[in-house]
Amino acid sequence: MASPSLDVLLKGNSSRNVRGLLRIIILCTIAAAAVSSRLFSVIRFESIIHEFDPWFNFRATKYLVQHGFYKFWDWFDDRTWHPLGRVTGGTLYPGLMVTSGVIYHVLRFLTIPVDIRNICVLLAPGFSGLTALAMYLLTNEMSSSPSAGLLAAVFMGITPGYISRSVAGSYDNEAIAIFLLVFTFYLWIKAVKNGSIMWGTLAALFYGYMVSAWGGYVFITNLIPLHVFVLLCMGRYTSRVYISYTTWYALGTLASMQIPFVGFLPIRNSDHMSALGVFGLLQLVAFADFVRGFVPGKQFQKLLTAMILIVFGFALLGLVLLTVSGVIAPWSGRFYSLWDTGYAKVHIPIIASVSEHQPTAWPAFFFDLNFLIWLFPAGVYLCFRQLKDEHVFVVIYAVLSSYFAGVMVRLMLTLTPVVCVAAALAVSHILDTYLVASKPSEASETKPTADNNQSGLRSTRNPVVGVYSYLSKFFISAMMIVYLLLFVSHCTWVTSNAYSSPSVVLASRMPDGSQHIIDDYREAYYWLRQNTPANAKIMSWWDYGYQIGGMADRPTLVDNNTWNNTHIATVGKAMSSREEVSYPILRQHDVDYVLVVFGGLLGYSGDDINKFLWMVRIAEGIWPDEVKERDYFTARGEYRVDDEATPTMRNSLMYKMSYYNFNSLFGGGQAVDRVRGARLPAEGPQLTTVEEAFTSENWIIRIYKVKDLDNFGRDHSSAVAFDKGHKKKRATKKKGPRVLRTE
Amino acid sequence: MRWFLSFLFLSFLAVVHALSSTGNRLLVILEDETEKSLYSTFWSDLEGRGYTLSFESPKSEQLSLFQHGARAYDHLLVFPPKSKGFGPSLTPKAVLDFMNKEGNVLLALSGKSSTPSAISSLLIELDLHLSSDRSAFVVDHFNYDTVSASEKHDVLVVPRPGPLRPDTKAYFSGEGVLAMPRAVPQTLGSDSPLVAPVLRAPVTAYSYNPKDDSGSMEEVYATGSQLALVSTMQSRNSARFTVLGSVESLEDKWFSATVKTPSDEEQTQTVNREFAKQLTAWTFKETGVLKVGKIEHYLAEDPADLNPQIYRIKNDIVFNMEVSEYEYDGYVPFELPSEDALQLEFSMLSPFHRLALQPTRKTDNSTVYSAAFTTPDQHGIFSFRVDYKRPFLTNVEEKHEVTVRHFAHDEYPRSWEISGGWVWIAGLWAVIGGFIAFVLVWLYSEPPSAKTKKTQ
Repeated sequence: MASPSLDVLLKGNSSRNVRGLLRIIILCTIAAAAVSSRLFSVIRFESIIHEFDPWFNFRATKYLVQHGFYKFWDWFDDRTWHPLGRVTGGTLYPGLMVTSGVIYHVLRFLTIPVDIRNICVLLAPGFSGLTALAMYLLTNEMSSSPSAGLLAAVFMGITPGYISRSVAGSYDNEAIAIFLLVFTFYLWIKAVKNGSIMWGTLAALFYGYMVSAWGGYVFITNLIPLHVFVLLCMGRYTSRVYISYTTWYALGTLASMQIPFVGFLPIRNSDHMSALGVFGLLQLVAFADFVRGFVPGKQFQKLLTAMILIVFGFALLGLVLLTVSGVIAPWSGRFYSLWDTGYAKVHIPIIASVSEHQPTAWPAFFFDLNFLIWLFPAGVYLCFRQLKDEHVFVVIYAVLSSYFAGVMVRLMLTLTPVVCVAAALAVSHILDTYLVASKPSEASETKPTADNNQSGLRSTRNPVVGVYSYLSKFFISAMMIVYLLLFVSHCTWVTSNAYSSPSVVLASRMPDGSQHIIDDYREAYYWLRQNTPANAKIMSWWDYGYQIGGMADRPTLVDNNTWNNTHIATVGKAMSSREEVSYPILRQHDVDYVLVVFGGLLGYSGDDINKFLWMVRIAEGIWPDEVKERDYFTARGEYRVDDEATPTMRNSLMYKMSYYNFNSLFGGGQAVDRVRGARLPAEGPQLTTVEEAFTSENWIIRIYKVKDLDNFGRDHSSAVAFDKGHKKKRATKKKGPRVLRTE
Repeated sequence: MRWFLSFLFLSFLAVVHALSSTGNRLLVILEDETEKSLYSTFWSDLEGRGYTLSFESPKSEQLSLFQHGARAYDHLLVFPPKSKGFGPSLTPKAVLDFMNKEGNVLLALSGKSSTPSAISSLLIELDLHLSSDRSAFVVDHFNYDTVSASEKHDVLVVPRPGPLRPDTKAYFSGEGVLAMPRAVPQTLGSDSPLVAPVLRAPVTAYSYNPKDDSGSMEEVYATGSQLALVSTMQSRNSARFTVLGSVESLEDKWFSATVKTPSDEEQTQTVNREFAKQLTAWTFKETGVLKVGKIEHYLAEDPADLNPQIYRIKNDIVFNMEVSEYEYDGYVPFELPSEDALQLEFSMLSPFHRLALQPTRKTDNSTVYSAAFTTPDQHGIFSFRVDYKRPFLTNVEEKHEVTVRHFAHDEYPRSWEISGGWVWIAGLWAVIGGFIAFVLVWLYSEPPSAKTKKTQ
C-alpha cells in the first residue's frame, strides 16, 4: 500500500483527485448495489408488473406511449368505473408515466428498441440508484465528514423501508417520488444555505416534478414552510431564507398548478394553506426587518406587536370565513386520519380498509430499518449539537415523519430518508472519532479532525488514554463493521423474502423444497381475456379492478382509484345482499361477470371473505337500513362461515359465490375452509341469478356469469326450481283476494 | 342485435317458401289420426299459406322437437290429448326449451276431455292458469248459440275482438261473430307483461264443470271477462305461445256454421275460419313481427362519421332507426298505433333523455324513426336504448353503448374570448409591464452616492 510510487497519488494535491475518483467509484458501486438488490423478483419470477396500482400505471403508460401526450392528457377512460367512466387524464399524477414515456422515446431515438413493460419494470430500481446519489448530496450538506454522505447513500440504497416500494416491477408513483423528495430537499437546503435564486428555482422545478409524480408532495408543501417558520421563530430570519422561500413558493406553486389533478388546490385546499401563510408571514417579517432600520427600538417593539396581532387576527378570520363559505376546501379525510387513527375507521371505512393505511406495528420499524432505527436518535442529537439551518430541517423532518410513520404503514417511506441521514451522521461521527482521531500528544491540540472532535462525543473531549489506544479503536470499528455487515445481510434477507413477491404470482414450497408457482390470478384474467366479449363488464371488489383492467382488459365497475365511494358501496351492497336484492343492481350496472377471490381451498388468507366485512361496512355507510354489519356476526359476536354463520351471511351473494360447489371437492366428506379453519355446512349454497363460469386451478379466482332475465318472466329461483323438476304449487297464489287483470 | 341478424337470415330463407317470417316447418301433435279429417279446411288453409305439416302422435317414438341440439321444427301445434299426458318428448321442459330456441307453439284445449296436468303445469310456468277442476268449460246463458246448444249453453257466440288497448295494434279484429264450443277458460297472471288475452269471454260467462253437480261454489274461479278463451304469451325472445280454449272451433263444421244468440234477430255465419287464420298467422309469426334495420347515430354537424364510439358532452346528436313490420308476405313500413310512441332513451344508470322517435322517412319496407338531442352535461358510458315491448308485437330491445367524454383541454374557449376575464388579463399584463419598467428604471438609473437608496 505504502510503496513510494503510490505516494504521489495518495499524498498532496493529486490525492484530492484520487479521492474524488474513488468517491465516484464508490457512488457508482452503491448505485449498482441499489439496483441489483431490487432484481430478486425479476430473477425469481419474470419481468412482470407487481401488485395492484402498478397495473394501472402500466396501462396508463401504454396508453401514453400509444396515443401520445395530448391524448393522454384528455384521456377519458371508459373501461373503468362503468358506467361512470373516469377522467383519467385529469385525475392522475402523470409524472411516472411521462418519465417512462420519455425514456422509451429516448431509447427508441437511440435505436434501442425496448419493450415498454421492461422500462416500467426496471424504472424503480433505476431511480433508486439516483436516490442514493441524491442522498449523498443531501447528507453532505449536513456534515463535513467525508464518510457521512457515502454512508447515507449506501443506507438509502439498500434499506428495506425504501426497497419495499421500489423493487423491480413495483411500478408505482413512489418509485420516482422518493428520489424527487430527497433531491428537492437537497436543493432546498442548498437554496437556504446560499440564499440563491438559482437553487430556489431548481428546488421549485423539482418540487413541480414531484407534484406531478406523487400525492405525497403535500409533505414537502408543509415541511418546507414549517422549516422556514421554525427558523423565523428561532429568530434566524435572513435574506437568504427570504430569497429561497419566496422563489420556491412562487415558482413551485405555479409549477404544481400545471398538473390537472392538482389544479387550484394549492390556493383552495387547507392542506396547502400553511405554505401560503408562511409566505405571507415572511413578507411581514421582511417588512418589519426593513422598518427596523428606520424606527427606534422601543417604538418598533410596539409597532411589531400591534402589527402581529392585527395581521394574525385578520388572517385567522379570513381563513375561517373562507373555509366556512367553502372557498377553501376543508381538510381532506386522509388528513384527519393522520391525526386521529380511529377517525377513518368510523367515518371513512374505504380509507381504513386499505392495509397500508393501518397504523404501523412497532416491529415494522426494526424490520424495515434495522440498526438505523436506533442510530436515528443519535443522529438527530448530533444535529442538535450543530443546529445550523439545515440541521433544523433534519430535526423537523425527523419529528414529523416519525409521527406519520407511526400512524400509517405506507408513510414509513417518508421516514426512511431522514433515518438514513441521521444514522449516517451518527455512524460517520463514530467512525471519524475512532478511526481518524490520533493521540493529542503528537500535535498538541490541533488534531486532523479538529472541528469534529471539539463537537464530538463527550468522552473524546478529555484525552482519556483508552480512546486512543488501538484496542479501543479496533474494538469500536470492528463492532461498527459487524453492525454494518449485519445490516447488509438483514436488508438482503428482507428484500429477498418479504418484498420481492409480485403478489400476482404466488410462490410456495413443495414438500421436497422445490418452488411451486401458483398462477391462478393470471389464469383467470387470461380466461376473461379470451372467453368473454371485449366489453363484458366485470364486477369484483375494488382491489382487483386495476389488475382486471390491465391483465384481462375488460371494463370494471370499481378499481383501486377509489374516487367514488358510492359506487364502491353499490358493489359492496351487491356482494353482501341476498341474490334477489343484488340481481337488480347487477342488471342496472350491465354486469356480465362477477369475480370473487376465494382462498378456502389453498389457505390463501387475502381472499374476499376476509375482506367481506369491509364491503359490508362501506355499503352500510350508504345504506344503513339495508346492510347492517351486526347481521353478519353471530349472537356471540363471532364472524363465522360454518354451520353457525348467520342467515344474512349465508344468503349473501359473496358467501354463496365463494362456497358454491365447494362441497363437491371433498367427495361426500365435510368441506373445510383452510383459511378460517371452519367446517362448512353439509349442504352448500345454491345460486339462481348467477351461474358458475370459471374456477381457477386452486380455486383462488371464481368467476360467475350473471344470468339474463328469465325468458318467460319468472323469477330466477322458480325458473331454477322448474329446471330441477320441482313442480310449482299453484296454491301459493291463492293467498289474499284475487287480483284482477285490467287491460 | 345478433338474434335480429339471425332472424333476418332465417326470414330470407323462409320467404322463398313460406309466409311466416321465421320458417315453415310445422309439427302438428295429433293423437287420433281419425280426427284429422275433422279439420281438413284448417290444414289446407295452412298448407296454402306455405307450411309443411308433419303429423305426429305424442306417443310416437321418433318424435323429438330437437335435432342435434337445434330446433327440428319452427312451429308446434298441439291438439288436446286423449290420454293423460303427452309422453317423454313433450314435457313442459321440452316445450319451454323449444320456446327458448324461438319456436312458436299453438296449444288447443278442449272442454270435452279433461286437461292433463302436464299442460296445466306448463301453463303455470307461462303465468297462464287453468281452473283447478280440469274438465271445466265456459258457459254463458246470454251469449250462447241457440242453434246447436240450446240446452247446455256451452257454445259461446262472441264478436271478434278489437284492439286490446287503445295503444296496441289489432291483429284479430274484423266483422262477424265467432263460435267457441266448449272452450276451456284461462286466466292470466295479474302482473305478467308477457301474457295478453286475445279473446275474452263475455261478462256474463262463467266456468262450469259438468261432472261437479254439487252446485256449491266454495271457491269461485274467475268469471266474466277475466276468463280468456284465447290467450297468448310472448316470451322475452319473442317466441310465441297461444292457448286456444276451444279446439272444436277449428273444425270444418264451425268454420262455416250458422249461429244465433238469444238476443239476435236472425242467424249469422261464423267467421271462425278467418279468425283461425289470424290466430295461426300471429302465432307462427306472419304478423306482428318487428324488425329493426339500420341504426345510425352521428353528430349533427358531421353526418358523414356514422356511429362513432365516443361523443363529447353537449354534442348535438341525431339518432335514426329503421323499423319494419312483417305482414303475411313481406316487410312493410312499421306504423305506430295512434296513441303509442316509440321511445329512445339515452341513459346511464337512469335515463337522461327519453324522447319519442318521430317517423321521418319511409323506404319501401321500413320506416325511419329519428330523434335529435343534445348530450347531457355528464360524462360516462351512455347507451342508446329502444325498449319497445307491446302486446302482440315482437320485442324491440336495442342497446348501443357510446362513451360521452368531457371537454378536452383545448376545447374550452381561450381566455381572451371570455369578456369577463379581460379585467384579470389586463391586471396580469399591467403587473408584467410594471415589473419590466421597474427593472429598466432600476438598471439604468445611476446609483446616487451614498445613503439615498429609495430610487423607486
